[in-house]
Amino acid sequence: MRSKIDKILLIFLFIAFSVSIYLIFLWVPQIKASNPAEQIAQRIFYFHVPSAWLGFLAFFVVFCGSVAYLATRNRKYELISVASAEIGVLFISLVLITGPIWAKPVWGIWWTWDVRLTSSLILWLIYVAFLMLRRYLPDGSKRANLSAVVGIIGFTDVPIVYYSIRWWETQHPKAVMASSDGSLAAPMFFAFMFSLATFTLLYVYLIRKRYQLLTLEDTLNKQFKEMEIL
Amino acid sequence: MMRTAISILKKDLRMEFRSKESILAMWIFSLLIFVIFNFTFEVSRLVMLEIAPGLLWVAFVFSGMFGLNQSFALEKENGNLRAMALMPVDGGQIYVGKFFSVTIIMLMFEALIFPIFIIFYDLQLSLGMFRLIPVLLAGTIGFTSLGTILSAVAVHTRNQQILLSLLLWPLVSPIIIWSVTLTGMVLSGEVTEAFYPLLLRVGAFDVIFFTLSYMLFDFILED
Repeated sequence: MRSKIDKILLIFLFIAFSVSIYLIFLWVPQIKASNPAEQIAQRIFYFHVPSAWLGFLAFFVVFCGSVAYLATRNRKYELISVASAEIGVLFISLVLITGPIWAKPVWGIWWTWDVRLTSSLILWLIYVAFLMLRRYLPDGSKRANLSAVVGIIGFTDVPIVYYSIRWWETQHPKAVMASSDGSLAAPMFFAFMFSLATFTLLYVYLIRKRYQLLTLEDTLNKQFKEMEIL
Repeated sequence: MMRTAISILKKDLRMEFRSKESILAMWIFSLLIFVIFNFTFEVSRLVMLEIAPGLLWVAFVFSGMFGLNQSFALEKENGNLRAMALMPVDGGQIYVGKFFSVTIIMLMFEALIFPIFIIFYDLQLSLGMFRLIPVLLAGTIGFTSLGTILSAVAVHTRNQQILLSLLLWPLVSPIIIWSVTLTGMVLSGEVTEAFYPLLLRVGAFDVIFFTLSYMLFDFILED
């Protein structure tokens, strides 16, 4: 099962993460902030935002995998969406952990019921429920069907959740990338994009590995069943 | 066309009217929520007015779970769920029938608990209160349209009741957030310009959830 691609990916990842960490902690200039704690805390941004991006990407893959499964009934797609859901939950958990670490020195509080925070938490809950549903069901086509249905409904709900809480006043920093006045300096932008690319690569690696593991489990289960028959 | 849906609806409503199981349980449960709430948060009348809309929806949602759970749990007995899956009809029809029965039962329960709510929290009745009817309708339909399909999902698991809550609540949270806001506007008598667009939005998402569930329901029945 161990392919060459995975090995190359792993080496790449190692290099990319090393460079990424160098860029984030040593290369990027200090931001101008009155609060010294904020200057340091700001660097979490390079982990926080890519994790959030990865979470969304992962849940989008869950949605695509679910649709593809219902259309083709190919177990491959079921396994891809499960693997992706697990990774998505993991990274949204990281978002929910890194957020408060930043918020404490800057806002003075760990948590506030703000738009982004609340919607991220709800998003996390949706996919945790998705994974729990799978835990409660015996393996088989029934489980695949049910989780695909929930995978589709869940992703359709994501924009609605964001939309529903949007009109609240937000404390969360705006999407700096989008602003036209160049509020993100060039080196910061570069470090951020590099980190984003690294995280995306990590996603590719993780989903490949998890998918391989799930197929391996499948083969093993099949062999066990055959042994029982004998 | 809709014959199957109508017969399921009729059957469910007849069962409910004979036993009055769901409505009674939901009603008593809501009453309990009001009582417990009163003991746990001793707040002044002014604060109470502010949180009343939220409390009303908490009661609706928690009690509504009972009806939703019941809806498919009943079918599981004697293998009726399997029989339904074997019926040579479109699965969407079963969804429509179940959706309407759950919604009607829940709306009746809401109509029965609302007077109690008014009395307990000493709210002023006014003509403007009629605006609450479309709000309750839109919020409830949103809750039951998603709730019906997820109840059909959860019924296949061992831990049906807890799983339904885990699946449904995060997904239905936008509808509940909006419904609470709208209810608050009506109860406080401050219906602003934002009222109708917001109501329309809830209605729009009701349609989305309903259509999506209708299309996906076939896959749930399949084995």
